Amino acid sequence: MTATLGQYLHSGAFWYLFAFVCFAAGVLIPGLLVVLSRNLLHAALWLLPCLASVAGLFLLLGAEMLAAIQILVYCGGIVVLILFAIMLTQGLGHADVRVTNQQLFWGSVGAAALAGVMLHLLSLQMWPLGTPTIPGDVTGRLADALLSPYLLAFEVASVVLLVAMIGAIVIARAEPE
Amino acid sequence: MTGINLVPIHAYLVVSVLLFAIGLVGVFSRRNAIAVLLGIELMLNAANINFVAFWRYGGGVQMEGQVFAVAVITVAAAEAAIALAIVLNVFRRFKTINIDQINLMKG
Repeated sequence: MTATLGQYLHSGAFWYLFAFVCFAAGVLIPGLLVVLSRNLLHAALWLLPCLASVAGLFLLLGAEMLAAIQILVYCGGIVVLILFAIMLTQGLGHADVRVTNQQLFWGSVGAAALAGVMLHLLSLQMWPLGTPTIPGDVTGRLADALLSPYLLAFEVASVVLLVAMIGAIVIARAEPE
Repeated sequence: MTGINLVPIHAYLVVSVLLFAIGLVGVFSRRNAIAVLLGIELMLNAANINFVAFWRYGGGVQMEGQVFAVAVITVAAAEAAIALAIVLNVFRRFKTINIDQINLMKG
């Protein structure tokens, strides 16, 4: 028994499962705290481990490039942007008296019902999935996909980012008195 | 990547469903506009987990799942920039960003 347990521990399969459980908990628990924290600054900071754990799930799935993009864009960019907006609007540590509106109960019920329906559909096992193969050079194939069949989407994405940047500057600019 | 057969795709999908539901609660119930935005970010990440999981368990040969995930991240970045600019503008005009106190179409 101990020998098989030792083999199991050394096979790498145990550590894959262990990493998955850690990352799943790292997504869901900070996610709950993002939604439930009373202090908005704490909520935005809890977003950081949540998004980093999503990057960990991407790594487990074999999408290294996406994990890097997730860390760079979400943890490095969007969270910092949100923190700037919080500091500029309500300042440090100023917790609201009431952080939720009147829809908390029915909103939770609706979200739980939606989750229940989706989990029920998941339990029906509708996807006959083969054994996943080792994908090889994933990043290279992602680059090929982005630059040959999806070139138009790639270019449109860059235009979207440019428009968003100019639009954000125009909207957030101080109004001339 | 030998251990991937141990975790069925349903495990990833369950994580994604729960994260989506958590984000939905945030969008429904928070008063602060930035907190609503945090909920939306959680929901976008749930969608991304789905895309990448189906890409991997669908064989990992066709790259559509990852391309879609890249597109989602791009749009999320653009949306965050625009939304936070709007939040700053609203704060300047109304002195609050609680969305149940902002009820004028024309300030």
